[in-house]
Amino acid sequence: MVRDFSLFTSPGMGPTPDGDPHAAVACAHDALPIFYSPNNTRDGRGTWVITRAKDQRRVLHDTATFSSHRSIFASALGENWPMIPLELDPPAHGVFRSLLNPLLSPKRVMVLEPAIRERAIVLIDGISAASTSCDVMKDFAFPFAVSIFLHFLGLPDERLDTFVGWGKDLLHGEGVKRTAAARTIVAFIDDLAAERRKEPTDDFMTFVVEAKVDGRPLTDEEVRGIGVLVFVAGLDTVATAIGFDLAYLARNPKDQQLLRREPDRIGLAAEELLRAYSTVQMIRVAKKDIDFEGAPIRKGDYISCATMIANRDPAEFENPNTIDLAREDNRHTAFAYGPHRCLGSHLARREIVIALEEWLSRIPDFRIKEDTVPITYGGHVFGIENLILDWS
Amino acid sequence: MRIIVHRDKCQGHARCWAHAPDVFKLDDEGYILPGDIEVAERDELLATRGARSCPERALEIDRAFDALLDRFLFNQACGGFNT
Ligand code: SF4
Repeated sequence: MVRDFSLFTSPGMGPTPDGDPHAAVACAHDALPIFYSPNNTRDGRGTWVITRAKDQRRVLHDTATFSSHRSIFASALGENWPMIPLELDPPAHGVFRSLLNPLLSPKRVMVLEPAIRERAIVLIDGISAASTSCDVMKDFAFPFAVSIFLHFLGLPDERLDTFVGWGKDLLHGEGVKRTAAARTIVAFIDDLAAERRKEPTDDFMTFVVEAKVDGRPLTDEEVRGIGVLVFVAGLDTVATAIGFDLAYLARNPKDQQLLRREPDRIGLAAEELLRAYSTVQMIRVAKKDIDFEGAPIRKGDYISCATMIANRDPAEFENPNTIDLAREDNRHTAFAYGPHRCLGSHLARREIVIALEEWLSRIPDFRIKEDTVPITYGGHVFGIENLILDWS
Repeated sequence: MRIIVHRDKCQGHARCWAHAPDVFKLDDEGYILPGDIEVAERDELLATRGARSCPERALEIDRAFDALLDRFLFNQACGGFNT
């Protein structure tokens, strides 16, 4: 039941020129539905790996058996507090979820849409006026996604590069760098909360410090737990998705043409790309001993529900390794499943669709620039480091 | 066609709403409103797509209801409820 497999150290998981980390992990389906992987977290801990979509649903739904409190961020600092609501279990989870849901509901995101589109257009027009080639990650995907989320938080754009740097160190840096970044982010969030307490504005942090749950204001630790999660969650997930999507379209001109001809298809296509290029691994902690599909899970064990594995399950999706932009009934779980479904999923989806729409309508036929090679990696959030596109 | 809504399973993905906003109504938090949904014939295709996109399987398409309705209407046409 032990298998040499890791989202961090298996072949193709480190920085790989022209890599395809999603295809590399899809091989998990050749094996047992559950196996143990001795080194499958950032800090080298082992996890049980659940490969079938239906079993992942079972785990992610059963919050009584599988807790999501593993203090992933705080533990980097040798502390123990939850990122909220991600690392809270029901019923406390539901209280915070209800508080935050309206801020990121589908209807609320519709209100943000014009500002999102405007941001995409300004960036892309700037790029196309300057050249017939660019590094999509550096010039578009990151500035776009991060500035939308700074806008949401109520922070100015000028610090964008600083924040992206913190995010990179935190998510992809090693040891010391990572701890330093974690400390910097916590201090930043604490300061911001203190400032907004003194001088309220109409931004997200003000909302959080003024909010009440169960008839009482939030504690400092709760405010921090929310602030840190929202900050970290917005830093590279959407940018990464846009990168993988544009890389796919650059390599598959037929599909690029299809979406140019029929932009109405972009919404559905984005769902298929989310399925095929899912980027996060959910981890739960067993609250008790349980026998799961023949595996002896013990209290305290980590259980990994990697979205990139579930979303390539042949029992769930016909030809899972084929990207079919017209795929329907696409019940992918890129935003996870169950009560912890990604709070920002509606915003993320709109950002991705708008980015693709505006990119395709403003940039002519593009391909990966000759003699350049995108570098991909696996790990905590799958990603793509550079993507030089050319439309000369 | 009727769609049975398992409200307790809904986790607010809003995939149903994305396909058919006129059929599936969400509350302010983005979760589906409780109560089964009668779908008009012209909305059936989109409603079916919406229901089939729900990752939580919170929406069940009730075909038995269609058959029942057919039989009822047929019998009415024959002038009564004789089976
Ligand atoms: S798709 Fe399913 S989970 Fe999503 S809002 Fe509709 S019913 Fe709820």
